[in-house]
Amino acid sequence: MAAGATSLVDLLRGSARRFPDRPALRQRGCGISYAELWRDVRRAANALRAGGLAPSGRVALLVENSPEYVIAYYAVLQAGGIVVSLNASMRGPELARGIAHCGASVLVAMPTHPALPALLASCGALRQVVMTPEVAPAREGTAGAVAWKEWLATADDTDVSGALDPQLPASIIYTSGTTGDPRGVTLSHRNLVANTQAILRYLELTELDRIVNVLPFYYSYGNSVLHTHLAAGGSLVLENSLTYPHLVVQAMSDERATGFSGVPSTFALLLQRVKFADYDLSTLRYLTQAGGAMAPTLTRQLRAALPRARLFVMYGQTEATARISYLPPERLDDKLGTVGIGIPGVAIEVHDPAGSAVAAGVEGEVCVRGNNVMLGYWDNPAATAKVLRDGWLCTGDIGRVDSEGYLSLVGRSSDMIKSGAHRVSPLEIEEAVLELAGVAECAAVGVADPILGEVIRVCIVPAEGASLEPRAVQAHCRDRLATYKVPKEVVFVATLPRTASGKIKRFMLKETG
Amino acid sequence: MSAAVQVRQYILENFLFSTDTSLLGLDDSFLARGLIDSTGMLEVLLFLEESFGIKVADHEMVPDNLDSVNRIAAFIERKQG
Repeated sequence: MAAGATSLVDLLRGSARRFPDRPALRQRGCGISYAELWRDVRRAANALRAGGLAPSGRVALLVENSPEYVIAYYAVLQAGGIVVSLNASMRGPELARGIAHCGASVLVAMPTHPALPALLASCGALRQVVMTPEVAPAREGTAGAVAWKEWLATADDTDVSGALDPQLPASIIYTSGTTGDPRGVTLSHRNLVANTQAILRYLELTELDRIVNVLPFYYSYGNSVLHTHLAAGGSLVLENSLTYPHLVVQAMSDERATGFSGVPSTFALLLQRVKFADYDLSTLRYLTQAGGAMAPTLTRQLRAALPRARLFVMYGQTEATARISYLPPERLDDKLGTVGIGIPGVAIEVHDPAGSAVAAGVEGEVCVRGNNVMLGYWDNPAATAKVLRDGWLCTGDIGRVDSEGYLSLVGRSSDMIKSGAHRVSPLEIEEAVLELAGVAECAAVGVADPILGEVIRVCIVPAEGASLEPRAVQAHCRDRLATYKVPKEVVFVATLPRTASGKIKRFMLKETG
Repeated sequence: MSAAVQVRQYILENFLFSTDTSLLGLDDSFLARGLIDSTGMLEVLLFLEESFGIKVADHEMVPDNLDSVNRIAAFIERKQG
């Protein structure tokens, strides 16, 4: 790993120097070596500069996991810009909101994304649009767009970047937010390097590691899998869908994978549909699990199904770059149910409502300090001030730490819904549902689901005389929101239960059946 | 009702929340259109097993069998044949 690295670009440059011929990425049977990846990153960075990208200029990526995503991501950093990874499963209005809020001047997009035409029409501030190559037929004649290969061909591959200021913003990731309260988690170069190096240390990744990756890079977990493996000189095999679970396990076998990362629903799906014993997974040395608490029963099933792989249970948050804690596999048995200890360089405390640390075993809000803590939410100082207090990131998670420093999570202080790998603000669902004529009031909550952890239920108080069909509500949401945000259940109620001060008692709506 | 009609109706009602058949072509790829994710596919399998009395083996869970209305209909026919 590159010593004294101040940015992810330094880490990639180091891997390209040490392992130029080793495979960095593989997708659909095609590979790209470190030398090729680093060359294309330099060319794309120079193309961005030639296109007039200003220092700290924002470049939005609307691209599924692919070599082009990785090239564009690192190129933006090398060109001194800020990369904005958009969730490719989102619909037009959600995407337009993010692009407008961060003021992106360049968009790198998949030409097949269904929201693209509307997006281009509504985002007037975009100066340049680059279309990535696609297997499916590209949309013809998109005005003002340049094709990926032509774009790269406009620039040479000189490595012109100097050292990047580690304190400058490098990345914005939009998490669950609403129109009036956007949450663009802004991470510095220092955040990204510190978290990458800390994860590398405890996973003991090397150039011999090869992971089959199903996690989207536009989420912090997938983002960390990408950067750690590239920093180690390892390989990533990109599998973008879990729709056919046994094809993913087949790829793990074919590619002689050493690692696999998932959220609880990933492992629940695989265990439900795949007989691991039918596949040669003898090279698999580690598994990582994050993205919400996994039931101890599922953890035990996973260990029984893949006994040779070391399982790292982890905890994190986008606001903490990705990773906050990990449970060393050798302590998995006696500390099962905890999310482990702080990763190197990260302090964890549990605070009472006054902001003071509480004693071991006492519940309170989990707070985190270290080089992984974000700079803040982009252009949203009010939201930033709520979570960054006195040098601590207040996670909104409720937990307790035992006498050995092992953290257990017991709940959340916020109403955020956690479904599969996704974190969803109930306010965003409610905002969309309230657009419908015939809805007087509504509230969205998460209800328990055996695979996804939670699914979304929306409780609606119809306007007087209004007649609404559940499917009409779902169809309306589907037009406006990413598929994972569409309520699974639509329930009609006479009133919403409220406290004396008028706050909705959401816990009661979880029980409405 | 033919298998294709039943499958299209199921996908429309449960993933597009509509009965408008113009929204889903018989050869539209569910993956390419982002219609069905991994948990959605489990629901589709349950529907196929309950409605058509077939059992879908793991090795049969491939896009060739399941990634459009027509592919599913042909798959059902082969299984029932």
